[in-house]
Amino acid sequence: MAPRPVAAVACPSAVDAPPDPAALPSPASPERWSAMLRLRAGDLSLEPWLAAIEAGRLAPEPDLLEALAAHLDGAAVARLLRWWLAQPCGDPALPQRIGRCRDAAVARELRRGLADFPAPAVRAALLPLLGHQRSAADFPLLRQATLEVAPAAVRHAALEGLCVGLGAWPLPALRSTLLALTTDLDPALAAAAVDGLARLPGARASLLQLRSRALDGAVAARLERRLARLPANPLLLLVHGRAGGAIPAEVEALAVELQQRRGAPVLLRALTDGGPLELPRLGAPLGLVPLLLLPGEHVRQDLPRLRQALTAWGPLRSLPFLGSWPAWQRALGQELAHLANTGGWSSASPALLLHHPIGSPLGRRYLDHLEAVTGARSREAAYSSGQSLDSLLSHPGPVLPLALAANRLTEALAPSLGPAADPLLARPLLRQALLEQLEVLP
Amino acid sequence: MSDPPIPAPAAPLSRLEEAKSSFCGLDLAPRLEQLGRDGWESLDETTLTVHLKWLGIFFRPVTPGRFMVRLRLPNGAITAEQLDLLADVVDRCGEHGSADITTRQNIQLRGLLLEDMAPLLADLERVGLTSRQSGHDNPRNITGNPLAGLDPLEWIDTRPLVAAIQAALLGPAGPRNLPRKFNVAVGGAPDSFLLHNDLAFLPALRDGILGFTVWVGGFFSAQRNELAVPLGLWLPPEQLPAFTLAVLHHFGAHGNRAARNRSRLMYLIDSLGLDRYREAVQAAHGEQGGDGATLVEHDGSHLVSRAPRDVCGVHPQKQEGLSWVGLNVPMGRLAADTMADLARLAREHGSGDLRFTESQNVVIADVPTDGVGALLAEPLLERLPAAPGPLLAEAVSCTGNRYCGFALIPTKTTAQAVVVELEQRLELPAAVRTHWTGCPNACGQPYMGQIGLMGAKARKDGQMVEAARIFLGGSMQADPRLAELHHKGVPLDELPEVLEALLVEHFGARRRSATAAVRS
Repeated sequence: MAPRPVAAVACPSAVDAPPDPAALPSPASPERWSAMLRLRAGDLSLEPWLAAIEAGRLAPEPDLLEALAAHLDGAAVARLLRWWLAQPCGDPALPQRIGRCRDAAVARELRRGLADFPAPAVRAALLPLLGHQRSAADFPLLRQATLEVAPAAVRHAALEGLCVGLGAWPLPALRSTLLALTTDLDPALAAAAVDGLARLPGARASLLQLRSRALDGAVAARLERRLARLPANPLLLLVHGRAGGAIPAEVEALAVELQQRRGAPVLLRALTDGGPLELPRLGAPLGLVPLLLLPGEHVRQDLPRLRQALTAWGPLRSLPFLGSWPAWQRALGQELAHLANTGGWSSASPALLLHHPIGSPLGRRYLDHLEAVTGARSREAAYSSGQSLDSLLSHPGPVLPLALAANRLTEALAPSLGPAADPLLARPLLRQALLEQLEVLP
Repeated sequence: MSDPPIPAPAAPLSRLEEAKSSFCGLDLAPRLEQLGRDGWESLDETTLTVHLKWLGIFFRPVTPGRFMVRLRLPNGAITAEQLDLLADVVDRCGEHGSADITTRQNIQLRGLLLEDMAPLLADLERVGLTSRQSGHDNPRNITGNPLAGLDPLEWIDTRPLVAAIQAALLGPAGPRNLPRKFNVAVGGAPDSFLLHNDLAFLPALRDGILGFTVWVGGFFSAQRNELAVPLGLWLPPEQLPAFTLAVLHHFGAHGNRAARNRSRLMYLIDSLGLDRYREAVQAAHGEQGGDGATLVEHDGSHLVSRAPRDVCGVHPQKQEGLSWVGLNVPMGRLAADTMADLARLAREHGSGDLRFTESQNVVIADVPTDGVGALLAEPLLERLPAAPGPLLAEAVSCTGNRYCGFALIPTKTTAQAVVVELEQRLELPAAVRTHWTGCPNACGQPYMGQIGLMGAKARKDGQMVEAARIFLGGSMQADPRLAELHHKGVPLDELPEVLEALLVEHFGARRRSATAAVRS
């Protein structure tokens, strides 16, 4: 094909001076567009424009507001909001077109409008803009408007206000609000709440909680889509282990089930394993989970050494030892209560926590704390010294050995106590509680 | 070769230019996570509305707090894995989320919060995508033959050429602050219409060797509309990246930074004259490490000879036993579930390779011919038809006033409703390309349509109502021309009747009732 010259299509070009409100071409005029370009680009005195709108001499058409928006400061936005609120049938899209300014005067006007004008259309227009202001003081109002019985448009607008100000709100209260909304009868509201939760810190744990709730079908599907993009990190479970680094069967079974539930690798390492530390290439931060029950030497000395060695493998997120987790301590208390109920013990019968000898003051303080949480008494079980366990047989209450998996303590107790000597992972309630805690880790 | 004359800076920088030069928007990338925590309101107006666009992040005044992200999809190519990721991004935005295929074979995502940006950019990088420098005064998405590598008619596969140009532009030698946006395109087939680009590489033979002849200066705006003109140079394919860099660096150094409405490349060509401009870019090409000996004079003739094909339907690829299947995306708008389903179709029925077209449609590549039937039976094709009507197939639309403050009408919904209405009323002997745009900025390229429509206001019964100006006569055939104004403002509710009459008079349409009467 041979080239051909092509003629230009002539169009009016803009000149520099912005137009005057009285001389603004009507929306149907071909001159309107170039006037708007001059209005956007030029130095502007706002007063005549605001006055013309307030006096009804100038219609606040969307293109005019778009051109003025870049020039509006907080005081001007507040003034236009006041004017809009005073109109009997104001354009509901106007506040959004002008309300992007974060300013104390704008926030005051929004609060006044919400207090004085209960009409749903007004509230729906103002609530998202209040969220834009990102003032934590407005959280209760937005929260209430989201949860209250009100027209759907108002509740959606309030939730949008929460979403666009997400980082400004108190996190626990925001999380509980969104969790509450996930089971709302309005599926669109519930869906938006799931999406909001997915953006918060610790999103995976919050979302996993929802799996046990009765969600709308579409919301449940949305939940799974959000979880699919929040993959769990690989975990390394550190356990005491048995001689030669052997991993007890209960722990191995726990790791297999955990890996299946998390959809991410779960590795095991025994403290008794003296071999070199070898990890596969993981491509994601590793979570180190010390499944150790007492703050003994392993926690205070071996664990920091392992942590140091693991940092050479890549990003590491190290958790406190299991015995310090409040949820674990509560689970121990619940297990003791369960044993008391099923064993026919009276409530006055003291439960007994049997533990490995621990001599440090820190260990003693920990056991005192555990006694306070569980209501049990702790007792050292020096099984390795061959001490008689006869006194345990006559103990008038539940006995719980603080051993995660079978070890010499549980094996020494078994002939005397039978199933009462079972290690903690052999107890369904505790195993389930631990699995749930591990599953929701990042 | 003598140094090109350099125009002296005749006027001070515009305020926008001063703001742009204060820092590069790319420097905001490491701060995105913190910005997400602080909120967009913490940003000054210029950072919010200008600098973030260097990362492809667009503040939208019509939806404050809900941002748009525009990607770069060189040659319009995307994989199922990449589309899956984008579907999830849009899905997270719930009722606020959507995506638009653009007229530059690109995609833009809507409804995102600023908190989403840091993880999104990391995810994009992980799957080989970027949104970098996709907005404002940057070289925009580089287009190529949407059927590249599949096309029995292609002269050359444009994908590696487009990828090499993008790599050069985003690399360390690439431009970071142009006077205005800049469009680059590479043609590879007889229907590669490119003359609306600032820089167009059209396939051309020279002494029996396939290379590219360079055309420059095409653009549409509210002030002026031009098709590109031949620069008078031919170059071999391997010189495209260096030559593009040369053109852009020259434009960056000498383009108009005083008046934005006279800052597109054609104004610079006007000011220098075509011959002096050519000499200047040849010199700049050498400075960019280009091989000057490979640039040779050329009369601008090329191998592009017809308007772009309608890609919809089933078409045999150049690979034996494979077909591409083109699907119509009504007005280019995609919902999250549609995107996810589209990715699945590409994965299950093809190779996972998809292409977006400038007509805002999508192509699924590498479908085994004996598997085409299964693809055509997919429920998604009820929404994205492989055999759309003759108006729907080629209807192109800008965003419209749902998301754009400039637009005077809801472009996409209006276009969809009117086109469907007209297809019910009329039988057309051939597809008719309609281009719908919401304002004189002409993002929907109304001057390229056989029928162009531009949002306007008109008075009807004493009331101001939404309306459309009508342009007629645009052509992308061998003898291209821009559409010209035909009607200065038809109220939208009268549009079906007016367009029906135009289609009957100018495009051979027949009214269905009349057709039925004749048949009976």
